[in-house]
Amino acid sequence: MLECIVFYGLAAAVLGSALGVVILRNVLHSALFLGLALACTGGIFALCGSDFLFVSQILVYVGGIALLILFVVLLSGRSKDLQSRQINDQWLAALVVAGTTVALLYRSLSVFSNAFARTEPAAATLPIGRLLLTDYLVPFELVSLLLLAALMGAVWFTRSKT
Amino acid sequence: MGIGLFGVLTRRNIIGILMSIELMFNAVNINLVAFNRYLYPDQVIGQTVALFLITLAAAEAVVGLALVLAIYKNLNTVYTENFDLLKG
Repeated sequence: MLECIVFYGLAAAVLGSALGVVILRNVLHSALFLGLALACTGGIFALCGSDFLFVSQILVYVGGIALLILFVVLLSGRSKDLQSRQINDQWLAALVVAGTTVALLYRSLSVFSNAFARTEPAAATLPIGRLLLTDYLVPFELVSLLLLAALMGAVWFTRSKT
Repeated sequence: MGIGLFGVLTRRNIIGILMSIELMFNAVNINLVAFNRYLYPDQVIGQTVALFLITLAAAEAVVGLALVLAIYKNLNTVYTENFDLLKG
């Protein structure tokens, strides 16, 4: 019962913040609503019993990506941008495309709605660590290589031409 | 996922497009974790793949924002209809 209340509250918060991200005119408000949406998504992860994913979502997404987006918004904004219209002219076609995608996803995922297992979730940090170091060692190392490449790319793109 | 898709297709600001891409990444992560929790509760493979996706999304956001800063330094705008260096 409490789980239902918490889940619906968090889901409503995520959907409301996501709508705020894509509709608001003020880009700074959009970035702040993105931070809220990411934090509430972390809450949904915690509700599903994945403690490590909850913590890493807050650390990486809210503390890293949302902050980075906030920096770029503050570095590249002008005061007259805060009231200009942020939705371009193809919003009706985009609404049709997004609505069709959501309807198709709902149809294809609701097949699984009667196969739920009603067990308590176990703590997942130790099994995730074990999987990362035994079965998924190669993707683990490749992801670290990818992060190195992304870091070098970011430094290269923002260097000054002196 | 639908809200993120609508945002990617309609926002004029390039940072708004990047934010909507992050929303879509989060929707996929929620899906993976929910499948793991309710259909295969004794395994953690869904959470491991979601962890990889968080890392990938972080790397992609870093590179995308570096590109946005480089574009802003050259063109002094962040609106996609003003990116006209490739127009004939």
